[in-house]
Amino acid sequence: MSGALCVLVVSNIDLKTNVAVTKPSAFLKSSVRDCILNVNNDYRYMKLGYYVSLHAEILGNKVVPTTENAVDAYRLPILLVRASKNNVPTMPYIVTDSVKQIMAEFKFPIVVFAVNPFSFEGYYVAKNRSALYRVVKSLSMNYRYAVCAQPLNGEMVSCKSFFGRSNIEDASIGEIAEKVYKTFNIPICKLHIQYVDGKAHLCSLQPLEMEEISPSDLNEISKTVSRFSEKGGFD
Amino acid sequence: MTRIACFVEKYNFSYSEEAGALQNFKRAAESMGHEFNFMFRNGLSEIPKYDAVFIRATTDPLYTAYVVSKTAWELGLKVVDDPESIRVCANKVHQYRLFEKYDVPRIPTLFLNKEEFHHRTIEEIFELFGKPIVLKAPYTSFSKYVEKVACETSFRDVAKRFFRRSDFIVVQKFMPSRFDWRVGVLNNQVLYVCKYMMPKGKWKHGVKRRGKPSFIWGRTVSLKRDNAPQRLKEVALKACSVVGKGLYGVDIKEVNGDYVVVEVNDNPSIYSGYEDYRNKDIYEKIIKYLTE
Ligand SMILES: Nc1ncnc2c1ncn2[C@@H]1O[C@H](COP(=O)(O)OP(=O)(O)OP(=O)(O)O)[C@@H](O)[C@H]1O
Repeated sequence: MSGALCVLVVSNIDLKTNVAVTKPSAFLKSSVRDCILNVNNDYRYMKLGYYVSLHAEILGNKVVPTTENAVDAYRLPILLVRASKNNVPTMPYIVTDSVKQIMAEFKFPIVVFAVNPFSFEGYYVAKNRSALYRVVKSLSMNYRYAVCAQPLNGEMVSCKSFFGRSNIEDASIGEIAEKVYKTFNIPICKLHIQYVDGKAHLCSLQPLEMEEISPSDLNEISKTVSRFSEKGGFD
Repeated sequence: MTRIACFVEKYNFSYSEEAGALQNFKRAAESMGHEFNFMFRNGLSEIPKYDAVFIRATTDPLYTAYVVSKTAWELGLKVVDDPESIRVCANKVHQYRLFEKYDVPRIPTLFLNKEEFHHRTIEEIFELFGKPIVLKAPYTSFSKYVEKVACETSFRDVAKRFFRRSDFIVVQKFMPSRFDWRVGVLNNQVLYVCKYMMPKGKWKHGVKRRGKPSFIWGRTVSLKRDNAPQRLKEVALKACSVVGKGLYGVDIKEVNGDYVVVEVNDNPSIYSGYEDYRNKDIYEKIIKYLTE
């Protein structure tokens, strides 16, 4: 979005900034022609945050994030394919609804993520066969959807990312947050990361729940939004 | 030789007509010297071994089919349905907004935001469109989430259900017809034309749920594509042009001699003895498109 001249900020969050912020429902009724910065805790498909980006696109506006990126970042296998294409270290993974297939591929413990997009649930670690059956059944909504399984070779860490800046001070994690932002432009999200031998690997990305945004997070988000607006665009 | 993976789910083989069509695709591909293998949801790691992916399982950004489509796309494979077409067609708000923008002849349509769902709004809608009106959840397919309502109470009931998964829903003027035109389009060209008749006494082509034995489904009348009305074909091509260049099935209503688009489907049903009845070359044409 470099070279953009002005930015209209649309947000469902009460940002602490002098910049004018438009509420999603007001924006959805408007037909403004501008670059849109869509700041939302949740860009899930068919939620308000998604429709804000869609509205901007239909009007022919540049928007962060795009609807394509919003869909892709939350669909775990696509997140991993696109992230690794952009040199983000990722864990080996398998997409399946078959417990047997998971066990043939990886040794316990195994981390299982939902590929079904309805849950805010992060992941479960299964240490044995019966636990794995239970977890797969539940995360797949009774085998309706596939799940994504990854081996647990190290330690799981979760961080919040605001415009590609992680709330955890760690170079390896920071690099992942930055690269994921460069790839998908999701302003606000949670990243699940696995630390293996001192190196961070991306495992999953999720929306943040509103309650998870702390006052200091809010300051961080607001500061970045103000900076974007002052500069009149994105880097 | 092109290696084609055909992504399917188990239900794609529940009806012999659909299973037959899948075999027709395989036969066509193989007789043209290509490889054609069925790929199921546990075989996604095989995608890099192929040159092209043809998706026959139901598509939606939330289903495995989208993961398959986008993964293949990212790897540079030829893919039908491509991820963009899936995103546009799977969401009625998205596609009607595009029809609006590019002036595609369509059923009069409004979009209702969950946050603006009040008594006044409902009254205004009934004033504008009359009664009954049609409510659609953006994610509907197989007519599952398309309902007619004629009073505020049922409006609220249905809308509340549809709002559970989407913050916007679609409201339309009720425009009944004896049949839907179904125009199959591939790469900006008409592939086949049929009429999907409404079952007697019904206003929807079907309550057809794949994989479930219980459904009522209107007859399909197939036409030679050259014999179909010119204007119908133009409207269908115009509607597809705002979506993409892939394989689509356009539903069109004929109202007082005019054609209005109901919707563009990606991943259109192809059943042996139905859509292909008067246009036997559709299998070859689709395979050719995948292998070009
Ligand atoms: N506004 C309307 N007035 C009258 N009939 C309608 C209207 N909208 C849709 N229908 C009928 O309802 C049926 C389903 O509609 P539509 O195609 O929009 O939904 P769908 O769930 O995507 O269905 P399908 O996948 O079967 O095409 C079709 O037979 C169509 O002709």
